[in-house]
Amino acid sequence: MRRREFLQVAALVSAGTSVIPRGWALNAEQSAFLAARSPYIDQHTPDLFSKVQRAAVTAASEQIIPRTDTPGAIDAGAPRFIELLVQDWFNDAERSDFLAGLDDLLQRSSGDFAALTGEQQLALLEELEAESADSPWYDFASTLRIWDDTAPFICQLKELTVLGFTLSEVGATQFLRINPMGKFDGDYPFASGDGAYDKDTLLRKLAMESPS
Amino acid sequence: MSATQFDAIVVGSGISGGWAAKELTEKGLKVLVLERGADIRHQKDYLGEHAPSWKLPFYGLPDRERDQRDYYVQQQSYAFGEPTIQFWNNDRLNPYVRDDNKPFNWMRADVVGGRSLLWGRQVYRWSEQDFRSNALDGHGIPWPVAYKDIAPWYSHVEKFIGVSGEAEGWPQLPDSEFLPPMDYYAIEKTIKRRVQDKLPEIPMTMGRVAILTKEHNGRAPCHYCGPCQRGCSTGSYFSSQSSTLPAASATGNLTLLPDQVVERLEHDESGSRITSVKTINSQTGERSEYTAKVFFLCASTLGSTQIMLNSASDRHPQGLSNRSGALGNYLMDHLAVSHTGFFVDDVDTYYQGNRPNGLYVPRFRNLGEQPDNDADFLRGYGYQAVPLRTDWEATFNGKGFGADYKNSLRDPAPFWIWALRAFIECLPNERNRIFLHPDKTDRFGIPQVATEFEWSGNELNAVKDSGLQAGRILRAAGAVGIDTSDGARLDVGGDAIHEMGTARMGADPATSVLNGDNRAHEIDNLYVTDGSFMTSSSCVNPSLTYMAFTARASEHAATRLREGELG
Repeated sequence: MRRREFLQVAALVSAGTSVIPRGWALNAEQSAFLAARSPYIDQHTPDLFSKVQRAAVTAASEQIIPRTDTPGAIDAGAPRFIELLVQDWFNDAERSDFLAGLDDLLQRSSGDFAALTGEQQLALLEELEAESADSPWYDFASTLRIWDDTAPFICQLKELTVLGFTLSEVGATQFLRINPMGKFDGDYPFASGDGAYDKDTLLRKLAMESPS
Repeated sequence: MSATQFDAIVVGSGISGGWAAKELTEKGLKVLVLERGADIRHQKDYLGEHAPSWKLPFYGLPDRERDQRDYYVQQQSYAFGEPTIQFWNNDRLNPYVRDDNKPFNWMRADVVGGRSLLWGRQVYRWSEQDFRSNALDGHGIPWPVAYKDIAPWYSHVEKFIGVSGEAEGWPQLPDSEFLPPMDYYAIEKTIKRRVQDKLPEIPMTMGRVAILTKEHNGRAPCHYCGPCQRGCSTGSYFSSQSSTLPAASATGNLTLLPDQVVERLEHDESGSRITSVKTINSQTGERSEYTAKVFFLCASTLGSTQIMLNSASDRHPQGLSNRSGALGNYLMDHLAVSHTGFFVDDVDTYYQGNRPNGLYVPRFRNLGEQPDNDADFLRGYGYQAVPLRTDWEATFNGKGFGADYKNSLRDPAPFWIWALRAFIECLPNERNRIFLHPDKTDRFGIPQVATEFEWSGNELNAVKDSGLQAGRILRAAGAVGIDTSDGARLDVGGDAIHEMGTARMGADPATSVLNGDNRAHEIDNLYVTDGSFMTSSSCVNPSLTYMAFTARASEHAATRLREGELG
């Protein structure tokens, strides 16, 4: 929270607001609650995957979102998020699809995906994607749903990696950026590479409200 | 049995109950507010406020198993989610009987403050035409109240709650008492300029919201964090919690009891006077009875009508004040449908802060004494319009891996979406109704509410028209892509969370439950001032009108009490 609060104050200062509006910061009890609440991925320890499965998911997530001049999937804790969601959020059928797909990936890599070279890992993932190319998961605007329970393994993996990255503290603050509060400016300049804002409400949740 | 004698008992602490509590206590009455929901504290218990995605379970993805089990109706609201879950009704614990062939979604809060914590905050006055529409076209019964009767009460309410917006002088959407309007997005300025140029008959204004743009009555202006429904520590949007309940409490005349489920009202031998209200404590099961001189039902449209139906007696065999048989019938909502345009203008602009508001296009159809020549429907609709800059969330399902794929997630999409969401007036229809289920009871032994609701042909025709007109507007605005709804898949009743009717007011006791003062025709000391009194629905968001009528009814009740009529 410290970074977020810093950004809020920075926004007020840069906006030329000399006085912080009275009382708009959180009160002590709310602040204490949020501060005491560690990130979701640190609140639980997953124990679904075997060591080699976990290593494979970790390596694959980094192939999907590698560290560049900004942090990557591993930096953001995405592998841990993936395991937690497969363990605690997926339904039985989705979990069984994921685990079968993961075992298939391991078989194609002689039992240890993480031990392959980066080029070999990428080639295998591209192979899986080519085999799943007809999945409706890739259709335009198919993202407006809570979850696609027909998604093949490679699509499950990509989606969980993206969510585990962009919604994480690292992803939201160092790859994307925090939308500062304090004032509204509807004509704020944007340049390529500035990045989108973090999320308070997921589009897939809003899409659920309106079936039309 | 409580020993305390109250002057007034208000059932419900939401947007209407809060107003009744404030007005009655400020007039010197000792008031007891009974709330069936849990006690939460302003500020301190808004635990989801400003919580970032990474601190939420599953990073904010809905807990599908729990939601399907416990919140199978509520989960469909845009405002439902982990940061707000504490405010919502648990559908498993507090069910109703939903007819899947005539579905109605009952969205409910279950805390002190009710849905005033979760509401959309859009506030629009009804027009003269809105109050005359039933009398003019014969649907429903005539309103016993005209715009001029309620206008001063609109002002009274607006001055207290704080409404930001632009004064326009339009007869179909009378101006409120305004604080400065919120600012426009660049794309909205572009759209408005083009539409004004090409379709001058289509007006457009900044959304009118009960959100402060400057300090007002000790509450701070909005800090634009965005998701108001999580609760607002600064009280920048109006809620009972931030505004009316503190005002009532400050008089020293307020007693508020949470966890009090009202079972029924009891009356005297004559049947014309309520004597007490019977409650069950939702936590302990303890039964209580509270007495007072005057009673206000503000328990929500379905909640208040349920209580009146369940208070049936020898004097009121069909439910309280129901000789007309209208109680439970004429349930209405608004039918909301979205039409979308894509714009490649102003893509080099973004925004800072989250503005919890959009533009508003007021009703422009059927404004004359006769319907428009090209309209195959009565009444009208308004559009709430929101700009959206999509990003990785909509487009992450592309092919590829590595740095290029990662880079595709970074910037917002190079276009704006501007969605026109039509809110269509719903005609009063006797077959749309609630009733007490003959067999099913809840965990307190109270008969469950059962619902039946269907859209009429008039609403369906208006859906099509709203798409045609939205297409015109979006073309004039310069959209490069347009996607208007064909009405194939529509929201069901209740989805707009503007449910109203079921205890309508009217001049004639033979056709209505309440009189023009919100007082029951057959019971001298019973007032009903939530959405259930509504005789028609207009197309504008209804909460402001509930507040104005509640304040007016409170004045009426307090005056009669002072003059000894209710003594």
